[in-house]
Amino acid sequence: MATVSDLKITELKLSEAEGGKWGMVIDQDICTGCQACVAACAMENNIPFVGDEDSGYGRSMHWIRIERFWEGEYPEVKMTPNQPMLCQQCGSATCEPVCPAFATVHSQAEQLNLQVYNRCVGTRYCANNCPYQVRSFNWRDYQRPEPLPNQFNPDVTVRRRGVMEKCTFCIQRIHKAQDKAKSEGREVVDGEFTAACAQACPANAITFGRIDDPESLVSQLSKQAHGVKHLEELGTFPHITYFKGG
Amino acid sequence: MSEQFSRRDFLKLAGVGAATTAILTGCGPASRYVKREPYMQMPEYNYNGQSTYYATTCRECAAGCGLVVRTIQGRAIKTEGNASNPLNLGKTCARGQATLHGLYNPDRVTDPIKRARGNTAYFNVDWDSATQTVADALKNYKPEEIAFLMGTAPDHLFDFVSDLAAATGINAPVRFGALSMFEARATLSKAAENLFGKAGLPFFDIGGAQVVFSFGSNFLETWLSPVSYTRGFVGLREAKTKKRGYLVQFESRMSQTGGKADEWIPLKPGTEALVALAIGRLALESRGGALPRAFADVDPADAAAKSGVSLETLERLAVMFASTASLAIPGGPSLGRSNGLAVAEAVLALNAVPDNFGKPGGVYLSALAPNETEYHRPASTQEMQEFVQKMADGKFKVLFIHGVNPVFELPRSIDFKAALSGVEQVISFATFPDETALEADYVFPDHHGLESWGYQRVATGSAQPVLSGAQPVVSPFYNTRATIDVLLAAAQLAGGEFATAMPFKDEVEFLHSKLVPLMEETGGSFAAVDINTFAAYFQQHGGWWKLAGALEAPDTADVLNHDLNGEEPEFAEGEFFLVPFVSPTLAEAGANKPWLQELPDPTTTVMWSTWVEINPETAHELGVENEDLVKIVSEFGEIEAAVYKYPAIRPDTIAVPFGQGHTAYGRYAENRGANPADLFGSQMNEAGDLTFAGVKVKIEKTGKKLPIPRLESIMGVYGEALGKEHE
Repeated sequence: MATVSDLKITELKLSEAEGGKWGMVIDQDICTGCQACVAACAMENNIPFVGDEDSGYGRSMHWIRIERFWEGEYPEVKMTPNQPMLCQQCGSATCEPVCPAFATVHSQAEQLNLQVYNRCVGTRYCANNCPYQVRSFNWRDYQRPEPLPNQFNPDVTVRRRGVMEKCTFCIQRIHKAQDKAKSEGREVVDGEFTAACAQACPANAITFGRIDDPESLVSQLSKQAHGVKHLEELGTFPHITYFKGG
Repeated sequence: MSEQFSRRDFLKLAGVGAATTAILTGCGPASRYVKREPYMQMPEYNYNGQSTYYATTCRECAAGCGLVVRTIQGRAIKTEGNASNPLNLGKTCARGQATLHGLYNPDRVTDPIKRARGNTAYFNVDWDSATQTVADALKNYKPEEIAFLMGTAPDHLFDFVSDLAAATGINAPVRFGALSMFEARATLSKAAENLFGKAGLPFFDIGGAQVVFSFGSNFLETWLSPVSYTRGFVGLREAKTKKRGYLVQFESRMSQTGGKADEWIPLKPGTEALVALAIGRLALESRGGALPRAFADVDPADAAAKSGVSLETLERLAVMFASTASLAIPGGPSLGRSNGLAVAEAVLALNAVPDNFGKPGGVYLSALAPNETEYHRPASTQEMQEFVQKMADGKFKVLFIHGVNPVFELPRSIDFKAALSGVEQVISFATFPDETALEADYVFPDHHGLESWGYQRVATGSAQPVLSGAQPVVSPFYNTRATIDVLLAAAQLAGGEFATAMPFKDEVEFLHSKLVPLMEETGGSFAAVDINTFAAYFQQHGGWWKLAGALEAPDTADVLNHDLNGEEPEFAEGEFFLVPFVSPTLAEAGANKPWLQELPDPTTTVMWSTWVEINPETAHELGVENEDLVKIVSEFGEIEAAVYKYPAIRPDTIAVPFGQGHTAYGRYAENRGANPADLFGSQMNEAGDLTFAGVKVKIEKTGKKLPIPRLESIMGVYGEALGKEHE
């Protein structure tokens, strides 16, 4: 039977999970599904391409993907608003407790879901347990023939076979901006940097920033009434807010 | 030297000495002829662990978006949009992002080569003999026997060859690109000329409109300037200061742009002009008053019957169009039919209903770029056909090709490859081993766009006149050479008129000569009094642009007094209408970039392949399923592609993307998918653009399966692969 103090701890944890630090708002009404974010993410984060055969088996390694569904049948058919789907950086992530190797851990400092590549042993429990299906697994050591590796971003680890990976909210960019601000003796300013997907997006459909700062654009937007969070009912406290289209 | 003379004093004295020298010679320390050499050879301006950012211009299409490329230790790491470039304001499309996979592509042409035409085997030559080959080609033939065929980018090279041609009498360069063929740029320009009395690329201010009727225009994909038009679309949709705008797309196959529309009207292919005129008439009738000549002859009931759009729908849309700030845009496959020019004119004229010409949210003529005096459009397919005929007839003895891959991009019915046999010497400057480079005698590779100097005029998409500037963001990775430098050196060797035609020491000096006139102009993004400073700013900012908009209001006095033609086009024989569309992710030249191949198509989510979109009902009648390999046969050719049951296409229409089907062009592109250009005929519309969407095709089963990788569930759009028990 739960004691009063136990309840308090649970409540405290929940409020922490709900709050978070970094967040994103995605406007599906203006997302055109152009894939610029997908390409930008791949270029920024050294994501391998897997080739036609492995993509046919559903092993392509998109950290962000654009979902679209169909409603109705011809001629009353409609494409649902494009839905960029990426790691929701849940406050209470279902991928975290199932990892036997503590490779999927929660960052206390940044309130993000981390993936520690050198701890990962490839059980894939986390991917099974992710309701958003946003984790991708390195089924092979994917070949990037010379001189393609020249393009690698030196700020991002290159992963090898047997390791799970997913969107990091461009944590390398977060750290770089924080280091710069610290060396200049100030706080990171809203809009000073952004994630690769948001930076590329020709429609400006993605807004990224501090949701714990009430003044930031992303927290202003995320408070709008028409914002929804995906699979919120599971208690995952996702940190991405979507504006449905139409 | 006394004991009091410390090391610090010595350094001070040395400093004074250096400063004196600098003053005396008038140069800074940079002019020292020796410099310290670090142990590690680092490219200029690079420090360990520090990124350097260079502004340049994207060359993945001709739009001219500005880029800022992050480099580290001489390697290009990431492209971002240049936030100050008025065209793209810091944004890029997927192709702009993947341009690095072109730079570091494992299948580039690494050295100048010579080969027997069509033979993949080759041997390397050195640049001296390459230059001599070009010089001999210029010297040993008559000027009228020398021709240049160029792509739609970069502009500085086109200007160079144009000037060279003007000075020496060789043929003026001809430019072509598959994108401009599919955009039907000649048709748009001709329609503007017919209606407004002035040729030019119309610009549509989508962002300022309340209702947009798009007749097949794929402005969110590859059309004209997709990044800028995407921004326009966002303006249409944003609802902070106004009501959320409404987009209606008229097309027989739902494109990515159609997928974003609030309403999709699947009209019968070829009836776009008729529907536009009917909407025009109904809209004006809803307001009352006399009907102008342009819309007087159309019978809305007839238009409804022919197009398959109900009269009620036409009436409803007409009232919507008449009642607010609306805008009509022509484009896409509707222009690529025998009545393409009539469609462009009818849709442009429809804008007379809200009379939006030259107003916010309306139709303008695009601003001319800073160093341009009149709109220059790429060759229409008809002009290309004439060019190819001259090649076949032996009129051109030497052909130089740069930045375009006509063996792949032109339809098979205009047989570029066969016509090459009429040309004695073919010299390609290709960066990649594409189909055309394979058919050349020599390939003298130019640098990749990110290793190149240059500029690109922004033809449309920005209200401000923009000249986007390019500079190398990394030093050349391979033994390649700038084509202008090759031509300059060859011209010197050739002697005669060539030696004096272009008095420049190198490409950069030529570029500077083209920037000098801009220094005189006022109202620019920066000013400088000497060319070196001006050019330095030009590189730093990634170009030069006017601060004020210069969109031109078209002269519309006569628009409604034209006889507009709503006739349906002629189609070549067949069962199904064929709608070819440019792959939004690959476009004309993306197939060799592996990450572009792995991007899911925005509508079907297919990767790495060619598919044919068939309505599920039609597929059922034909007895074909997803991933069945079928043969598509037109009067002019045939291709094989796997079936994709596409729910948003008319049952009498099938659609195939353009972008795959390469027989060369590197490991990621080769022998993958099919090229729908093999199905096209060689009939042109009245403006000289190819009627690429004017063929009908038959579908034959092959009995084979071809898996097509796709991101969506392979259970099918309606989960049909799950089996009956799940229905």
